[in-house]
Amino acid sequence: MTEFDPAKFEDKYVHYFPELQQAYKNAFSRINERYDSSLVHAIDQQVLNESEPFYDEEDGFWIELPDDPYDRITGVVVDRERFETVLEAHVEAIESELERVFDV
Amino acid sequence: MSTETQEGDDLEERVANFLRRNFPQIQMHGGSAAIQEIDRETGEVYIQLGGACSGCGISPMTIQAIKSRMVKEIPEVTKVHAGTGMDGAGGAGMSPSFPGETVDDGEDDEGPQAPF
Repeated sequence: MTEFDPAKFEDKYVHYFPELQQAYKNAFSRINERYDSSLVHAIDQQVLNESEPFYDEEDGFWIELPDDPYDRITGVVVDRERFETVLEAHVEAIESELERVFDV
Repeated sequence: MSTETQEGDDLEERVANFLRRNFPQIQMHGGSAAIQEIDRETGEVYIQLGGACSGCGISPMTIQAIKSRMVKEIPEVTKVHAGTGMDGAGGAGMSPSFPGETVDDGEDDEGPQAPF
């Protein structure tokens, strides 16, 4: 288990890249099993590609998403409610996988 | 008389080396990172992840990592546009005016093999 240093998470892509990869991969797999794969891929490629994970002592890990994520989705027909459900689940999965990978 | 070209090639090589050195995982996992275009005037670099990277679930985070690190580590680079070639690549205010269909699968785009 990686010992987590919040200060080093400021430069997360240098210090924690393998751990981030693991967390994102686990989250993607979990969500992809539960929801429509094309929607999960679209969220992954079109919304999460402009997101970034952060950490603070109070809130733990959280994902900053781009503005208007629903408007970014192309190539998949999905109503807003369904989209938001899956996006929320995906974000929660990433956050919980980050907690697990870093044991925080 | 070829100083301009010389400079440009050097920057492209450094971008390619940066990717190989810092993101060997891309190739190790069967993906590829191809440099589509470098705008030397604005310092903007266009990268395309391909192969297994398209839809692997890690690529969005990898894209952010490349964007974040490249501007810090290569001073001439001011902005990195990166995508996986799926629909999402066009988002985020990026204007995909790539002149280059010159890069196809990115298999042999980066010259010498990485030493790992």
